[in-house]
Amino acid sequence: MSHKAVAIKPADDPAFQLPASLAGLSLPMIIVGIVALVGGAFFASSSVGGRFGMSSYLVAYMYCLTLAIGSLFFVLIQYLSRAGWSVVVRRIAELMMIMVIPLALLFIPIAVAAYSGSLYTWSVEGYQADHGIPLAIWEQKEKWLNPNWFLVRSLVYLGVWCGIAAWYYRGSQQQDETGEITITEKLQARSGPAVIAFALCTSFAAFDWVMSLAPMWFSTMFGVYIFTGSILSAHCAICLFSFLLQRAGALRDEVTVEHYHDLGKYIFGFICFWGYISFSQYMLIWYANIPEETHWFFTRSSDGWFNVSVFLMIFHWGLPLFGTMSRHVRRRPWLISSWAAYILVLHLVDLYWIIIPEAGVGLGGATGIISTLICVLGMVALMLGLMLKLAAGSRVLAVRDPRLGESLAFENF
Amino acid sequence: MTESQPTPQTVKDDQKVHGVVAEFTDVDSLLAACRRVRDAGYTKADAFTPFPVHGIDTALGIKPTVLPWIALAAGLTGTTIALVMQTWMNGIDYQYIISGKPFISLPAFIPVTFELTILLASFGTFFGMWALNGLPKFSNPMFTSPRFDRATDDTFFLFLDAKDARFDEAGAKALLSELGGEFVEPVVEDETSKVIPKGLLIGLATIIFLSFIPALAVLRMRVTKSGSPRFHIFPDMDFSPSKDAQQTTTLFADGRAMRPDVPGTVRRGDLDWDVNFKTGIDMEQLATIDAPRAAQLVALQDDVAVDEDDEVAEADAASEESAPAADETGDNTPWLTQNPLELSDEVLARGQQQFNIYCSVCHGMNGRGNGLVNRRAQKILATTWTPPSNMHDPTLYADVYPDGKLFSTITNGIRKMPGYASQIKAKDRWAVVAYVRALQASQNASLEDVPEGKRSEIEKEQADVQAQLKAAEEATADSAEESSEASSDENSEASSDENNE
Repeated sequence: MSHKAVAIKPADDPAFQLPASLAGLSLPMIIVGIVALVGGAFFASSSVGGRFGMSSYLVAYMYCLTLAIGSLFFVLIQYLSRAGWSVVVRRIAELMMIMVIPLALLFIPIAVAAYSGSLYTWSVEGYQADHGIPLAIWEQKEKWLNPNWFLVRSLVYLGVWCGIAAWYYRGSQQQDETGEITITEKLQARSGPAVIAFALCTSFAAFDWVMSLAPMWFSTMFGVYIFTGSILSAHCAICLFSFLLQRAGALRDEVTVEHYHDLGKYIFGFICFWGYISFSQYMLIWYANIPEETHWFFTRSSDGWFNVSVFLMIFHWGLPLFGTMSRHVRRRPWLISSWAAYILVLHLVDLYWIIIPEAGVGLGGATGIISTLICVLGMVALMLGLMLKLAAGSRVLAVRDPRLGESLAFENF
Repeated sequence: MTESQPTPQTVKDDQKVHGVVAEFTDVDSLLAACRRVRDAGYTKADAFTPFPVHGIDTALGIKPTVLPWIALAAGLTGTTIALVMQTWMNGIDYQYIISGKPFISLPAFIPVTFELTILLASFGTFFGMWALNGLPKFSNPMFTSPRFDRATDDTFFLFLDAKDARFDEAGAKALLSELGGEFVEPVVEDETSKVIPKGLLIGLATIIFLSFIPALAVLRMRVTKSGSPRFHIFPDMDFSPSKDAQQTTTLFADGRAMRPDVPGTVRRGDLDWDVNFKTGIDMEQLATIDAPRAAQLVALQDDVAVDEDDEVAEADAASEESAPAADETGDNTPWLTQNPLELSDEVLARGQQQFNIYCSVCHGMNGRGNGLVNRRAQKILATTWTPPSNMHDPTLYADVYPDGKLFSTITNGIRKMPGYASQIKAKDRWAVVAYVRALQASQNASLEDVPEGKRSEIEKEQADVQAQLKAAEEATADSAEESSEASSDENSEASSDENNE
């Protein structure tokens, strides 16, 4: 709905290339990332404990994975809803979503840990007897939670994600060259089933990889909880990366205040959603007060974890809710990008709060927190390096998308 | 189309001019005109387009709406109302235990708070929008122009309001024509009648009248009596198949609807089978002196289902315990000599509260054995009454009557006093013991019992009181003669009052 005519730049315009200053960072980041990732995990294992080290690795892994699958969902939902506004930022999301392929390789340590019992307590010999779990119940549990079946399922999840991501990434890249509208039509047509497959995989992966850290605890809301974090952080990352790209000199005219405004609206909405989902999960369990359900929250409301819980409530929900509520904030790119960066940090705290208590060493102390942080920064740097490498070889905008004009001219009311 | 175009309207003398409107054929000329009008200083101008036009707000100089603030304020009002309402209702005015949660329980309040926040924010937005737009508005002078109908079709309009300080009809017309506006015409008042149609009024009156009927019917039912049974809208809620307390049932052989605990039931938090704590007896020592009795007592504690023999045994034990403390030979039970509770102000306060509730009726608030029940018994000369003990009798001091024995007395009773095990929890019974000891100490304390630092205070107080007593004594001695007259007057008055009654 616009009367504004917008000129689309030619596809080989330098504005669509990754700035050289960023492209040069690629290799150093990959090297530093690998060193920090391995070093951080090793440091955590040796200083705090083996299970804590693996938990730190899982925090780092889940942090990058939630960003990747959140971006995957973002791309899918844009095709599903035939959205026009988002074309200028979709390539950034595509670059993030394709990171599920390297992440699939990085799953190997977790798979090994599932066999060796160094991460998931359900794969530890004698767990049932030590914790006084009735054998009849444990036998049923074991039908689902055993290393072989766990690995098969994990491969299915990663396969589905990688397949969808690769297919959509390739389609979008092909369109850069050919400009075929049929490609968009094809991607749209498959987005419905893809979203269903995505939803099932994400939910079950959350159950298997994170919730099963506490094998006797279960919450049907948990899959949605992990998904909420991923879609929120994905929107934040898209917003932040667009801003950084613009600062580095690319996409100066393409991503406008209007796109930041829309991303800001989504960030605001998903902050509410995160609060809603996490509270719903807590409320039902707290109210019913059934011993086998409450222990997960009991752990997180005792010792130092209580402070972290309150911290999350205030700083992951309350503060950004009011912070991003105003239109004035959302229409200032640097401001909304700052909030996006802030929430990306809080998302890490959220994952730490979900995963680390099950390692059974409390908060992990200063060494634990620092080593986890090194581990996460390493994984993030590795992913960023790979993304930059990929982006340097293609463009940072879907230059021949049929809805690009609409996106460029997009205006909020 | 041109042949059907109406001509611009003209103004009659008695009509009020609301402003001037001009037509534009495309968006760009309209936007340009809007900008020019804004730059010319008009603040009360409006544009009408068949579809939303981006940037027209800035072109017209319209400031962003304050609606979000209204929504925020309304939402926060909803939050506050919900929290205050629930805190008042469930936490203060009508405390009711739900699911064993605290009365003021924030997590349980959140769903209602959330709903009310959303509801009031929606209302705030909806009615705030009405208020800001001046709705409901049944007609607008713009509608008087026959050409204006095309605003929903293919023509753009720019309207300059006469309320604007800069407005001047001729000038406005000139400006609009200069900006490229076609068919510049004045907007006049609607000439059609403002009288509300009679049918509508009658209909409205009928609806208002009918709406009173249910309320009147309810009012009538409230003040009249009826021979016919009440009408039950939800009979299954009024007549629940579940049994009330004390009702009988045919489902169980004993006919009781309230089922006794299943044998072996243990209340939550009651799993601490500390036998010493529950009996007041040092069991290990008792086992060395009187093994069968110790075994019996331990069995009693373990086995909730007490059978007849055990009760008799317990009664025997109780009677044995109730032997006078002076008779040392009759009681060789190794009573606990120390209160197992850690003494603190809290425990003593709890003990005082429980003592005042359960014990003071007979033993009196100060423990001297002259509670209300005792006084009444003496007044009616009850023959079977055994006066309650005086707690300050030396035979009840801790050295001859150990804490454990006192605890056992409260638990199992003595003479006329029933056992209070079913009313007072073990912990509270120990608290009562602690309070009784405190009472005893309070009546026999010497200055040495007071901490060093506070002795001077007490001494000062004592001196003050004695001085006051002395002064009062002297005063009474001085005024003895005067007061004797006065008091005789008072007495006569009092007696006359009595006579009157």
